[in-house]
This record gives sequence, structure tokens and C-alpha cells, in this order.
Amino acid sequence: MSTMVAGAAFAADLLSGPRPAEWKELREAAEARLAGRELPTMHEEDWKYLDLKPLAALRFGPAPKVAADISGRLLPEMVGTRQVFVNGRHASHASCTSAVPAGVRFFPLSAASEACHALGSVGAGDPRNLFEDLNAARFEDGAVILVPKNMKAALPLHLLFITSAEAPVAVFPRLLVVLERGSELELVEEHHGEGAYLTAPVIEIRVAEGAVLRHERVQRDSMEAFHLGTLRAEVAKGGQYHSRTLSFGARLSRQQPWLRLAEGVEASLDGLALLDGTQVADTHSFIHHAEPHSQSHQLHKCIVDGRARAIFNGQIRVAPRAQGTDAKQQSRNLLLSETARVDTKPQLEIYADDVKCSHGAAVGQLDPEELFYMQSRGLNADDARNLLTYGFAADVIAHVPVASLRRALRQLVMARTQASTLGDLS
Amino acid sequence: MSTTLNVVTSQEYKYGFVTDIEADSVAPGLNEDVIRFISAKKGEPEWLLEFRLKAFRHWLTMTEPEWAKVDYPRPDFQKIVYYSAPKAKVAKYASMDEVDPELLRTFEKLGVPINEQASLAGVAVDVVFDSVSVTTTYKEKLAAVGIIFCSFSEAVKEHPELVRKYLGSVVPAADNFYAALNSAVFTDGSFVFIPKGVACPMDLSTYFRINNKESGQFERTLIVAEEGASVSYLEGCTAPQFDTNQLHAAVVELVALDNASIKYSTVQNWYAGDKNGVGGIFNFVTKRGLCKGKGSRISWTQVETGSAITWKYPSCVLLGDDSIGEFYSVALTNHKQQADTGTKMVHIGKNTKSTIISKGISAGDSSNSYRGLVKVQPKAEGARNFSQCDSMLIGQTCSASTFPYIEVQNRSARVEHEATTSKIGEEQLFYFQQRGIPAEEAISMIINGFCKDVFRELPMEFAVEATKLLSLKLEGSVG
Repeated sequence: MSTMVAGAAFAADLLSGPRPAEWKELREAAEARLAGRELPTMHEEDWKYLDLKPLAALRFGPAPKVAADISGRLLPEMVGTRQVFVNGRHASHASCTSAVPAGVRFFPLSAASEACHALGSVGAGDPRNLFEDLNAARFEDGAVILVPKNMKAALPLHLLFITSAEAPVAVFPRLLVVLERGSELELVEEHHGEGAYLTAPVIEIRVAEGAVLRHERVQRDSMEAFHLGTLRAEVAKGGQYHSRTLSFGARLSRQQPWLRLAEGVEASLDGLALLDGTQVADTHSFIHHAEPHSQSHQLHKCIVDGRARAIFNGQIRVAPRAQGTDAKQQSRNLLLSETARVDTKPQLEIYADDVKCSHGAAVGQLDPEELFYMQSRGLNADDARNLLTYGFAADVIAHVPVASLRRALRQLVMARTQASTLGDLS
Repeated sequence: MSTTLNVVTSQEYKYGFVTDIEADSVAPGLNEDVIRFISAKKGEPEWLLEFRLKAFRHWLTMTEPEWAKVDYPRPDFQKIVYYSAPKAKVAKYASMDEVDPELLRTFEKLGVPINEQASLAGVAVDVVFDSVSVTTTYKEKLAAVGIIFCSFSEAVKEHPELVRKYLGSVVPAADNFYAALNSAVFTDGSFVFIPKGVACPMDLSTYFRINNKESGQFERTLIVAEEGASVSYLEGCTAPQFDTNQLHAAVVELVALDNASIKYSTVQNWYAGDKNGVGGIFNFVTKRGLCKGKGSRISWTQVETGSAITWKYPSCVLLGDDSIGEFYSVALTNHKQQADTGTKMVHIGKNTKSTIISKGISAGDSSNSYRGLVKVQPKAEGARNFSQCDSMLIGQTCSASTFPYIEVQNRSARVEHEATTSKIGEEQLFYFQQRGIPAEEAISMIINGFCKDVFRELPMEFAVEATKLLSLKLEGSVG
């Protein structure tokens, strides 16, 4: 009971501050849903393995206006195509859009109202979670990306969400991406931060017919942070959506991607979580094959060390009319310590008969034969283990299209898997 | 989908008849007095009444589970008759001739090999008719090696110390809603005890049959295999055709001590309701085996084809080091049937192993779900699990779901889960037909191939029955 009371107080606390004036309807609807809402407990099937008590134990205030140093965060390919948000607000001094391809609109929500009527409409009608509603009720700013018909954006766009807090604060980043028919875009979304905070981003994506979005997501929040993110994507006929979510930071994180695939869509939803200490990372995905002949591929990998916990709950639903669906889902987990823990639940719900669906889950440690092989080639036991651990992670990041990001991620993974002692493997 | 893929169902339920035997029943409803009545009627000791009452009091505080992917009208527990016994003309039967001929005819129609057939088939049958066990064969032969195989009520009278020691030790009275209900009101069932070092010389078998309209069946089965003992137990079910839903909430407990082995096979073919989903049995069963000793082994094999609603998860608790748990299942649903079935493998001891092979076939408007849990506890060094869950869909209005829960808390564990979905396609059928094999036979062959990994775990006579049953059940769905 105490958690539930704390939970109710939790939402009320966050809602007690001033409400931004824009998007009144969206906010009011969210507030109405939030009224009396409690923080979910582990008794709810959807939150079975994730204990939110540590979150309930903290009180989060509104985020102060601060300037953040982004010098180490820039990527050479995207120096002129970046928008930076600090503590949920647009940081114009840190942003630079000089190289954004002509025709592509990439601006803060606060700067324009065009297209923003679409805010909150992706995946409407689907039950919303508390954190998504909290975001809708209280977000201050966010980014909007519009790519016009048949425009193939030559450069990737870079979004940096930075949170910096001395006392616990809550921030609600928001992102709306709309790709019109036949357009193409690469997008890199990064989350960084310092101190204890709650970030509950909501990302809405609309991919029109035949459009292609490649979406790289890097979560490097502070080790004291809570990251509870929602992503909703609707992909129209013949469109493609490919995302890769790489989670390194946050003491407690949860990613909730929700995808609706129309006819002939190709989608991939890959993930890698590198966890240590007492980190908890939860991925709760839902892929809805709503119409015929769509494909989805999901590869989710977790490397869990220390007392960390990885949770995966991936649901694939194939609607009755979605004949010809091809869905593959893999949850693969590597346990590195005595006290690490993995809970995984891949789920298939199939209502059509002419489909190809499979899922798999594996939890284990490194293969002793592979370790032996490495040692027979002259590596010592530690190096062999580190190299294999790095290799386990590397195939998720191998295809990151932005070279500098790929390099940075490789270095990060090498450092975290202690494989860096083996020299540059990239 | 052509006409070939649209025909095979509509086989009338072969075992839908009602035997007219005057029942000795209690009025519908459930309260402590009913429980006291059942207990008194069966001449139970005080501790067992206490067990029942404790379970009942706990049950009152519980709510029906909602998490399964099944949708059905909640039973009204006050409308159920909790005790009914067929009236016997003679209290104890000296020979088969004295058994109510009406009853014998029923079994004959069911094809239970109770007379000469029993000896021919080499099967000892403990027949549960409604709630009271009527006759037991082969008792002497089993007694010679120290095996106890009798009705649960008899075991309570003859071997109270064994029953008291093991009852509720695997499925505690308050385990879940339906197990608690069963613990409060169970009327009869089977009891098997295999003493140390004895390998049971024959397969033991029980047939359950629900007869009295609106009488829920609450069987209780307890099987104990002592150190080094082994037994294979067969359970098969059929029930008459009724329009009112009948609740079946059985509890089966298995205990295997050091190096003991228990193999439990089920063919379940209760009335599934008609094509429109009217009637049919609600099958809410708690089955759990405890591999208590080192090197013990418990194997569940089930072929589930009946019942309107199935809610069943035969599980293994792998407590002893090096113990092994196995689950082989074929679940077939057709028309409006809904099944949510699977298993739980809880690895506690070191080097414990488990295997899960589940094959789900859905046809008609049915819903077929696999739900399983593989849990590796922190001390289960070297635990190993392999799970394979395959679904087959026949037609465009059924559904198949897979919900595996995998919880691993030991890094030396290796847990693997795989699931696939397939269908019987026009192309496959065309290929068979082109080779001169008619569609009906082709379907049977495809289904058999699909279920092969499970069928080969069944005792021979069950395997034959299961194959026939599946073909029968699918008649009209494909074709």
C-alpha cells in the first residue's frame, strides 16, 4: 500500500508545478488520465520485473535553466545538423542547423506551431503509460523533424538531450518525426546527463508510404538517472523503420517502443544493453503487424555484470488480416557475474495462419569451447573473455551508419568490456 | 484458401451419453457445513478436515486468476454440487459381476479395458466414476512388490501417515485459487506409493469421467516414488455432453525422492462444447511434481484435445541436485475452445536439467496459448534448459500465442527458448495429393510429424490413441 500512496503522490508532485500554455487539449487529456493514477507495482503484469520503488523514494523538482558543455558530444558528420536540448529546453546557443539539407524542417517545438497538431496522435487509442502521460502534461519543449515528399536527406540529423541536475529534477523531452511519402532520413538521438534525475522522453514517428527512417538511439544517462522512455511509430505501406537502441547509462531505465506496421513494411528494432553495478534496464516492445506482408526483425542483446538486472518483454502481434507476415525476434543475454540477473519474455500473439513467425531467447555465459579456442591462439583467459564479450556486443553496433558514432560506440563498448587492452579492434 | 482447407470438423462427440445411476448428492453450494459433510461422509480423520477447512478459509480470501488468455463466464461456486457418489447395490464388490451393470456398460462404451480387456492390455485401472473410486484391478500383483495403488479415500483410511506426510507438500493448500478450492472440497482421486528401489512392473492408469450434471469434479492425485523407485502413470479423460459448463479443478502432486523417476502421461478429451462454444468443461488443473531427491526425474506428457477452457501448467520443482524435469505437450483446440497451457520449471538444485517441448495446434475459432516459466534460482549452478514451442494454425480465424517467461539468476545457467509458427499450406497438401495421398491422410501425416517429438514420449497404447484423436478432432477443419 505504501508504494501505491507514494505513487499517487509521485504523479501529483510532478503535476504540481506550472503547466505550459501550449497544447492545452493534449495536456488536459493526459492530466485527466493521470488523476488518481498510481505508480505501477510489480503486481501488474506489464511491470512484473521492474521495481519502481527507488523512483517513488525520490522527490523530483522542476529542472533549472542551465548551460551545458557539449564540446565532447559533437560528431563531425553532424556538426551543422544538430539540435540540443538541455534540461528539457531548447539550447539555441549549442545548436547548429546550418548544414540541414534544404527542405528538411528541424526545429524546436517552441519555435513553430506548424505540424504540431500531430503531437500526441501517433498510436492514439492505445493504452498509455503513466510516464507518457506525465510527459504530455508537462513537457516544455522538444524537437520536430519534417522531411518533405521524396526528399532523401543527404546528412544525418543529430539530437542531443542533456540533463544536468544538482538536486533531483524531472525532464520530459519530446520528439516528433514526420517523413512524408518516399522520403529518407538518418537520425541520431542521444541522451546524456549528470546527477540524479528522471527523464521521460516521448518520441512520435510517422513514416509515410515508401519512406525510410534509420534511427540510432544512444542512452548514456548518468548512473543516478531514471530513464523511462516511450517511442511510438506508425509506418505506412511500403515504408521502412529501422532503429537501434544502445543503453549504457541510468540506474533504472525502461524503453517502451510501440510499432504499427502497415502493408509491406520492413522494420527492425535492435537493442543492446551493457549493464553493471546495480543497474536495471527494461525493454518492453510491442510490434503490431496490422496489415499483410510486413516484416519485422528484432535482435535484443544484454550483457549483465555486477548485481545488474536486464529485463526484456517483447511482444509481436499479428492481426487476423496480416497474412504473409514475417516476424523474427531474438533475445540474447550474457551473464558475467554470480549476482547478475536476466528476466526475458518474448511473446508471439498470432491471429493469421499464413505467417512466418519465430522467436528465441537465450541466457548463458560465454561458450567454454570458444574461450578454449581463443586461449589456444595465445590469448590469456581474461583477454579471451573480454574479446568474446566485446564480440557479443559488436554485431549490434557494427552497422551503425555514422562512422564517428560507430567508432565512439565501439570504444565505449571496448572500455566497458575491458577489451580495450587488446588494442584497437575497430 | 480453397475448399480443401475448409472442411474437416463437426464430428459429434463420441462419448456424449449420460448414465442413469441414482446419485447420493449434497445440495448445491459451498460452505463449511458442506466440507464437514464431505469429510464425515468419507469418514476422514480430524487433521484432514482441518486441512480442508484451512484451505476453504483461505480460498474465501482469494480471487480468480485473470492473467490467462481465456475468456469465459465465471463459474458460480454456489451452484455447484460438491459431493455426489454413485449408489452401489453392494458395498464391496467381490467380483466384477457385482458391479452395477449400468456402470460397466458406460465403461464399455468408453472403451475402458476393465474386464478381460484389462488383463489383456496389462493395465491396472483405478476407475473414478464421478467421485468415488469403484474398482481397482491388479491390486494384489502390485501389493506383492509393496506398491500401493488405490483410491485417495482408501489411502486416507489405510495409509493415513503417508497421505498426511505428502498431501499439500508440493501444491500447498493456498497455492492458487483453484488448488485451494480443490483442497477444500476434493472428493476422491488416486494414490500411488512406490517403495524404495521398486520399479513398478506395469503402467498404472486411471480414467476420470464426469457424470452427474452440475457436479464439479475435484480429484486429488498423489504419487510418491521413494529412493530409486520408478513408475509410469497414465490418465485419460472423457465426459458426457452437457450444455451447462462443468468445472473441473484437479490437483495432482508428484514426489520423487533420490534417483526416483515418475512419468505422468495424460490424454485429455473432455467435452469441448459444441461448434458455437455452448457447454464444455472448464479444466482448471494444478499439476506439479517435486524432484525432491538427488538425480530424480519427473516427466509430464500431455495430449490436450478437449475442454472448453483449459488452464493447466504441469510443473516441476527441481530441488534435488542433478534432477531432471521434462514437459512434452500437444494441445489441440478447435471451434471455440480456449487453451492456456504450458509448464513451469523451477531450477533450485545444482546441475538440474529441464526440457520443454510444446506443440500447439489451433483450428476453427479457437485460441491456443503456450505459457511457460523457466526459473533458475541463484544456487542452481550449471542449470540447463531447452524449450521448443511450436504452433500450427489451421484456418484464418484461430489464434496461437506464446508467452515464455525466463528468469535467470545464475550465470552458469544455460537457458534456450525457441518458438516457431507454421501452417498446413495448400502447397504441402498439393504435394501429398500429387504423390497419391488423399488430403485427409496428408493432414494426419503432417500433424503426426509436427507432434512426433511428443508422441514418442507417450506409452504405446496412448500414442496410438492420441494419433487417432487428433485426426478425429481435426476432421472438417482442413480438407
